[in-house]
Amino acid sequence: MAFKKGLFKTSIGRKNLMAFTGLFIIFFLIIHLIGNLILIIPNSFFPIEFWNNVANVHDMYNAYSHFLVHFWPVTIVAYILYAAIIIHVIDALLITLKNKKTQGEKYIIADNSTSSWYSRNMGVLGVFIGVFIVLHMAQFWLQYKILKIEHDLYHLVIATFKIWWYVLIYEIGIIALGFHLVHGIESAHRSLGVYHQKMMQIVQLIALYFSLVMAILFAIIPIILYFK
Amino acid sequence: MKLTLKIWRQENAKTKGKMVTYEMSDLSQDMSFLEMLDVLNQSLAIKGERVIEFDHDCREGICGQCSLVINGQAHGPESHYTTCQTHLRSFKDGDTLYIEPFRANSFPVIRDLKVDRSSMDKIIQAGGYISSFTGMAPEANAIPIHHDIAESAFDSAACIGCGACVATCKNSSAALFVSAKISHLAKLPQGKVEREERVQWMINAHDEEGFGSCTNTGACAMVCPQEVQLIDITRMNFEYNRALCHSKE
Ligand code: HEM
Ligand code: FES
Repeated sequence: MAFKKGLFKTSIGRKNLMAFTGLFIIFFLIIHLIGNLILIIPNSFFPIEFWNNVANVHDMYNAYSHFLVHFWPVTIVAYILYAAIIIHVIDALLITLKNKKTQGEKYIIADNSTSSWYSRNMGVLGVFIGVFIVLHMAQFWLQYKILKIEHDLYHLVIATFKIWWYVLIYEIGIIALGFHLVHGIESAHRSLGVYHQKMMQIVQLIALYFSLVMAILFAIIPIILYFK
Repeated sequence: MKLTLKIWRQENAKTKGKMVTYEMSDLSQDMSFLEMLDVLNQSLAIKGERVIEFDHDCREGICGQCSLVINGQAHGPESHYTTCQTHLRSFKDGDTLYIEPFRANSFPVIRDLKVDRSSMDKIIQAGGYISSFTGMAPEANAIPIHHDIAESAFDSAACIGCGACVATCKNSSAALFVSAKISHLAKLPQGKVEREERVQWMINAHDEEGFGSCTNTGACAMVCPQEVQLIDITRMNFEYNRALCHSKE
């Protein structure tokens, strides 16, 4: 096996990088979602006697976040994740800027019926997600893990999602993410070369339903917390 | 029937172009689209004006020379047609048609609706061939090829190099064009000998000629007159990654 230069550089190479980083972020998203779903476990579910005698959601969620911060393998994966997001964004910028330059003059009449709007606007959707990520990190990660202003993460989360405009921004970010994923998952498999017609149809179906489930589950959490 | 044509007129690549309106009447539904332009040019010639330049050759959908974007659609409204195969029955009496050249930085306008597509030739020159001895044609059955593979290779080989994929792509990527040739040759035993070099040479040429990066929107395959499939691009990506991770020894 000998890797040659160009694996991440040419028009195809850049897409490899997009695909690898994108798929890695998705892997994180699944874990993240499962953790967050703790927030909406109904009170009637507690106490969980067979498992450390967890008394309520508050304790369970804080135990989970404490584990994440203090278990070193998670820290390593977290740093890989930050790198993946940054590489994904920079690569997206490079691809999108280059592709803007290769277009000639704009068509006076444009017909867009040959492709989906979200596949054409991955960059725009990405910017929405990017703004959302920055806000999200500033609200939770910065205050809890870096500045250590807030020690009760559960409290912070509940307080945050009582602010209606925060919930709104969160929902917009999630919708953008959903559409980004529908095309992203298909595109990543194409970029990496899954050149089997049947397999590709399965990937398309998975992309659609996976994105839908992810978006719905992520989206209901703040709404439930807002009305709780 | 009557049509209003708004046609892109441009002196050359250096000057700015603009849309010019022409009213056409007494057209027949059975006329081909290019015949209508011939009629218009005839009337311009009689008036002593410069005729509208547009590309065409075979006028039967096999050479890939005709181009044009009609109301935003490469090769007009019928899917998987060339412009020369498009007839006026595809339009309604009284329609206004916006006729523009294929637009991409790698396709500079020569004049009016004619664009220079030699950038695509450069990609083919870079690797879209197999090396073999010239001379007598070899015995056709010397290399056995499964019927399905031959058919599939032929589907990819059907590309006529018209450039509609580039014209339609929001990234002006020639991925479908390149992938048709990569796939055609990758499927056949004769093409396997140079598969690693070919895909790298052609992709490098593709990038050097200023085409963009494919983002798999799929618009190209929707307009391709030869119905080259999007999966060919996926196969090209596989071939490229395989070539970069693989050494012959
Ligand atoms: C600031 C944030 C982001 C920006 C600016 C961004 C931008 C982009 C762009 C421009 C593309 C290429 C478009 C295409 O292939 O059609 C892309 C692809 C992709 N993105 Fe993102 N994105 C962001 C966040 C994310 C996140 C959070 C995920 C995962 C959950 C993700 C997953 C993917 C995947 C899987 C692809 C497909 C890769 C490929 O085509 O090979 N992106 N992104
Ligand atoms: S003129 Fe030959 S394909 Fe249209």
